[in-house]
Amino acid sequence: MLDTRTKAKLVEQIEAIVGPDHFTTDETDAVLNAHDAWPLSEAKIRAGETLPLADVIVYPSSTEEVSKILRVANDLRVPVVPVGGGAGTCGGTQPTYGGIQLDLKRMDKILAIDGESLLVRVQAGTVGIDLEEEVNRHGYTTGHTPTSLRASNVGGFIATRSGGSMSSLYGKIEDLTLGLEVVLADGSVVRCKAVPRHSVGPDLRQLFIGSEGTLCVITEATLRLFPLPPSRHFRSMCFPDVHSGLMAIRAIFREGIFPSVVRLYDAEDTALHVSTHFEVEEGNCMLMLAFDGRPEKVDIDESISARICIENGAKDYGEGPSKYWWEHRYDMYYPTKFATSGFSVGDTIDIVATYDRLENVYHEMKRVMETHGAAVMSHFSHMYPNGGSIYMIFFVSQPDAESAWATYREIWDDGVAACLREGGTMSHQHGVGTTRSTYTEAELGSSFEVLKKIKEVLDPNGIMNPGKLGMGGHT
Amino acid sequence: MEDSEAIEQLRLCAGCPKMCRHMCPTFLAWRSDSPTPHGRALLMYQDAKGTRALDERAIEVLYQCLECSQCLTWCLPQVDIATMVENERMRLVNEGRYPRGLDKISSAIKANHNPFAEPHGKRNKWFVPTKTQGKKILYFTGCTAAYHENGIARSTVSILSHLGYKVSVTPDEWCCGSPLFRTGFRDLGIEQARHNAGTLNKSEGDQIVVTCPGCFRAFTKDYPQLGIELKKPVLHISQLLEKHLDALRAVDFGGPITYHDPCHLGRHSGIYEPPRKVIERVSGTKVVEMARSRENAMCCGNGAGLRTLFTDQASIIGDARISQAREVGAKFLVTSCPFCKNMLASRAEKGITVLDLPEMVLAAFDSTSKVKM
Repeated sequence: MLDTRTKAKLVEQIEAIVGPDHFTTDETDAVLNAHDAWPLSEAKIRAGETLPLADVIVYPSSTEEVSKILRVANDLRVPVVPVGGGAGTCGGTQPTYGGIQLDLKRMDKILAIDGESLLVRVQAGTVGIDLEEEVNRHGYTTGHTPTSLRASNVGGFIATRSGGSMSSLYGKIEDLTLGLEVVLADGSVVRCKAVPRHSVGPDLRQLFIGSEGTLCVITEATLRLFPLPPSRHFRSMCFPDVHSGLMAIRAIFREGIFPSVVRLYDAEDTALHVSTHFEVEEGNCMLMLAFDGRPEKVDIDESISARICIENGAKDYGEGPSKYWWEHRYDMYYPTKFATSGFSVGDTIDIVATYDRLENVYHEMKRVMETHGAAVMSHFSHMYPNGGSIYMIFFVSQPDAESAWATYREIWDDGVAACLREGGTMSHQHGVGTTRSTYTEAELGSSFEVLKKIKEVLDPNGIMNPGKLGMGGHT
Repeated sequence: MEDSEAIEQLRLCAGCPKMCRHMCPTFLAWRSDSPTPHGRALLMYQDAKGTRALDERAIEVLYQCLECSQCLTWCLPQVDIATMVENERMRLVNEGRYPRGLDKISSAIKANHNPFAEPHGKRNKWFVPTKTQGKKILYFTGCTAAYHENGIARSTVSILSHLGYKVSVTPDEWCCGSPLFRTGFRDLGIEQARHNAGTLNKSEGDQIVVTCPGCFRAFTKDYPQLGIELKKPVLHISQLLEKHLDALRAVDFGGPITYHDPCHLGRHSGIYEPPRKVIERVSGTKVVEMARSRENAMCCGNGAGLRTLFTDQASIIGDARISQAREVGAKFLVTSCPFCKNMLASRAEKGITVLDLPEMVLAAFDSTSKVKM
């Protein structure tokens, strides 16, 4: 929390920038902005605990206002936490040290749709579904459809290196972002030109993508577009185990086929999410596939993929489970009575690894997480030619808050340690935020020092989202 | 709903990653996480759990809700935040902790039986009895049509006469109570309801017709829940006109027509088809649907006291609805609610005409061949 004099100075200058209607120091607003969708925050709120609050929430309407606000914050050494949709799952927008929450929801304009170059220029506060529906009306898709699409914003996508459920075909946000406008801690506005490729030194866009507000505030982006696919086919294949399913997935990519959706559910996840609607033999693992494109191409891709799956021991379930998942893909994002009762908390560790390590990472993480009495279920959710991600989902319930939060942390500690030990990377798309902050140094190894040095240069006063991405606290 | 059940519902909404927020009109108007279904639920949850009591700002947030129930359309666990907000408002009013801007509505209704502080004696000034000698029907005009949207009231009587009804209105009509129920002034609303029930039950019409969905919901949902019985069937004008489709005249309106579903008629009463059938019969064309229609229709911005307390934000919502009509190329935006019509017409730009259903139907009756508005 800020001292009274600093806060008074800050408020006076903020009001001069955005006017009286576009900031608030009210505690109620701070309470309502204090959390994102981090399951631990939500569990703590349910348990009647309070979370750290911002001193001021500011709602800028332009890059120029963001720049002025950052200059003021930098002069006064006030922490700044950018907030988009507040849909992140890692506590990335939590104002750990108080200060300013820079809420970008008013910057919600879709500035230009360029059908010639297949690009859309958009402000950071635009809600994902609003962007997707608007480009759909013009015959395009962003190809970026995370489950949080209704709640998350463009700025948040980029700040967390997010991934959509069709990233196997369309790519993650780091592949989809061609141009970027960001504001640094000293208020300077930096623009990275939208070009398909370049050869002019390191790609600085990639420095800012995934920086989670610790290096800059993202204000605008130019994203790739794709023509809406003329057809989308669904196919479901059931394997006797995870191993044979992964073998089939690898073989599909080796054929040069890029399905839009590739999701392999382990036995536990299949039992919970598939066998409730379809007859599945106990212990089997369901693979859900989707193929986008022209009908003739989709037909070929689908039939080759089906043949590969059957050669690897799969039973053909037709479009059923895959299509059902697609039509209900947002349902799992809603809370249930069971998952929110008592001192329950569940979360997902969304790791990523290459194929040579993926199975070992899966088995070892599952083993250590289960030692804490957690129910663990998983699906291999975003797959690529060289490997893919696993959603290691756990759920634990304890008789009291203290043991629930402690168990939650132990599962995370041991799960991430197992992932790193087996050669995986601790996040594919959710980011670091608060949850993974303490593991960042171990994850990045020698490159962590580089990141720290960059941070020291771009944010010498440490005002940018302190406490996140392993960057320590605000002083 | 039991307290424990209500807390469980609030817990679900407070623990949701905001899956409906993008559809909430007040989120659109403020672009802040506070006036959202999730925000309201969290405040009520923390209050109920004893974590944090509602303060003045929290109460304001609870009044920054249109009670339009759009969030319910997008809610898988079906948490009815609008009803919970309404119940909370009732408690706040009983404790004297509500925005004082609402006093002008409640005191006007108490003194004049309408929320506009118009003299009660002027309520039926618009009414010219017709000589039709048919089936008797009582038209409960509602405050907005009686005082601010006389065109709707006159059109209604005229159409009903065309259809052979003998229409009457009563000088003892009071506000139906809807604005009071929606803003938490339940006891004063009950006074209005009891008075109206007494008046309507002894009136001579065989059935009651209303043009205002607020009145319709009050009569068909609120009154029965309060144990107040109306002994005659109540029909919304769209339902009545649907029964007489063959008798309605069709003319060329000369441009695309879209329809705005009023929240109280659509989501709250489940009436979607009758107004559409009437529009299609009268215009001879299909309704051009806006991207958000039927269960997913966006509120006009004029509900549950929002326009009274937060005029600028209500206007932003009205403007957005007009934009949605323009996006589908509509030349006519028809609704079936004097309250919505009043709001939308006040925000409509040149090139789009806002009509209430009876006005549209009468325009066809009165037209020679083509309606020019």
